[in-house]
Amino acid sequence: MIEVKNVEKKYGRKRVLKGLSFTAEKGEITCLIGINGVGKTTIMKAIMALTPINSGEILIDGEKIRKESFEKITFIPDTITMLPQMKICDAFAFMADFYKNWDPQRAEELLQFFKLDSTERIANLSKGNMAKVNMILGLALDVDYLLMDEPFSGIDIFSREQIADVFTSHLIEDRGVIITTHEISDIEHLIDRAVLIDNGEVVKEFGVEEVREKEGKSVVDVMREVYRG
Amino acid sequence: MTVKFNNRDPVYVQVIRHFKEQIAKGYFEPGQEIPSRRELANQLKINPNTAQRAYKEMGEQGLIFTEGNMPSCITKDEAVLKSVREELIIEAVDLFLGSIKSIDVPLSEVLELVKKKHDAESGEAEELK
Amino acid sequence: MRNFLKLLNFEVNRFFKLYLILIGVIIVSQFIGAIVVSKGFMDRADQNQLSMSQNVKEYFSFNYFFDSEWFLLPVFFSIAMLMIYVFFIWYRDWFGKNTFIYRLLMLPTDRITIYFAKLATIMLLILGLVALQILLIPIEIQIVNSIIPTDLQSHFSFYHFSSFEIWGWMYPNTFTEFILIYGVGLIFVAVLFTAILIERSYGLKGIFFAIVYGMLSFGVFFVPIILNEFSNGYFYSLEVLLMIIVVSIIVLGSAILIANHLLKYKIRV
Repeated sequence: MIEVKNVEKKYGRKRVLKGLSFTAEKGEITCLIGINGVGKTTIMKAIMALTPINSGEILIDGEKIRKESFEKITFIPDTITMLPQMKICDAFAFMADFYKNWDPQRAEELLQFFKLDSTERIANLSKGNMAKVNMILGLALDVDYLLMDEPFSGIDIFSREQIADVFTSHLIEDRGVIITTHEISDIEHLIDRAVLIDNGEVVKEFGVEEVREKEGKSVVDVMREVYRG
Repeated sequence: MTVKFNNRDPVYVQVIRHFKEQIAKGYFEPGQEIPSRRELANQLKINPNTAQRAYKEMGEQGLIFTEGNMPSCITKDEAVLKSVREELIIEAVDLFLGSIKSIDVPLSEVLELVKKKHDAESGEAEELK
Repeated sequence: MRNFLKLLNFEVNRFFKLYLILIGVIIVSQFIGAIVVSKGFMDRADQNQLSMSQNVKEYFSFNYFFDSEWFLLPVFFSIAMLMIYVFFIWYRDWFGKNTFIYRLLMLPTDRITIYFAKLATIMLLILGLVALQILLIPIEIQIVNSIIPTDLQSHFSFYHFSSFEIWGWMYPNTFTEFILIYGVGLIFVAVLFTAILIERSYGLKGIFFAIVYGMLSFGVFFVPIILNEFSNGYFYSLEVLLMIIVVSIIVLGSAILIANHLLKYKIRV
């Protein structure tokens, strides 16, 4: 379980995160929802210790993040985290070199699923393909938690469908996933929990099927209520 | 299997409904093996937890059964299958009655129309054969 | 330790193409220079034979070559390139299309390993070029010797091959001096690295802190020397040496400790 507790963060004078708290469980897909710039990416970076927080606590399975944690949790940002002059196979070799949890067979499997060529240089890939390679760098790691920042942004619809496919496959099963996205209506039926963020705080946190059952509302309906009401 | 899900009803409920429809229409035979939770999630493009929930409910309702480590199967219990069919028919009837309630027409006339339409369609179906 | 070596290997490889180009430039420029300067002298010597008497015969001094642009420009160019790379080795991971710094910071290793790997890379690159130059000089001497007969040459001493004092610093006479000089170089680079990390952690106000930090380190480092000067040489040179070692440890130690803290808790991508 990932616990974000009362996190405060300032950029200069501006309070970006104001006592923000939520949890994400292993085996569930949790979606962070909010307008552009509300701080979704910042939260993810904070979880990965890629940006400092002013106060509050972030625990992964009850512990603060350490170097060993990076074999348990990984982050897929919206830009590729490898050198552009590397070929895809070079990137994989790099991962295999540093991470014990790298699964080369799964990487191969995903490469074929996405119909990519391992000898292609990363700089030469289209945006959609780069996003897919970025995905593989995260998915082929045998981690408990996956953080994905806008995996669908700026991607053509077919690539999006392929990426969405991954969510319903064994690759995600049993893992804890936190995802941020704008295309919420596309993936509503895939997520377990929604965390609505506004103005640096969590305004509503709920189980998606629960709300459908009890109130007959979709996530978009709830969003409309919360953000307009 | 492609099913279009709406976002307002719980997905697992929609999955169960889909199964019931398939049973009533005869696409799923009694005792027929059904895909595993994972496979179902992948085929229908839903969250594996949802598939899990649907199977649990269906198991409790007696629609499916699982013997040990074998794959799950549609129930062979005639009573259950019959009630599923009935349930769907009643639903359709309710829907129908609801639609024509506002239209002021005597029931006998409506039933005439239904019979006529039904015969016409089965007649066409016969000709096609 | 293993991760340090992997990262070191990785960082060296990243610069390798440019490094080979630098080496190529040095070799080509210096070899051509050796030939050009020697030939130039010989041409002049031939002309002089005709017009001048024996007394004002010009002898070839190796300084003609070792002080020439052919020899020195590639050296300055390399120094400049390496100095730029001290900064670039960090900034390249933040800017441009790749955000490789994400990957480095998410590796299952102590983040200070990244710092050590980059530090070691710079030192290796420097030492590599220093070694290269030592290897090239005898070859260049041979080139000159093949063009200019020895009786036209003035005496050559390896200790005074150039008018520039810098060579004395790069090739000190004793091992202790070598350690001292390159140790100071290492500390200098380490302080620069920490300053860079301060900027990367605190942004604009970070530049201010970074400069303050740099100057403080610099100041602390010179305390023994200043102390000795002001007390009119009160201290024995051994004591001054010991003081320098102590401040070196302080400055290097704090550079590493600060860098470690920043990388773990304050760095921003």
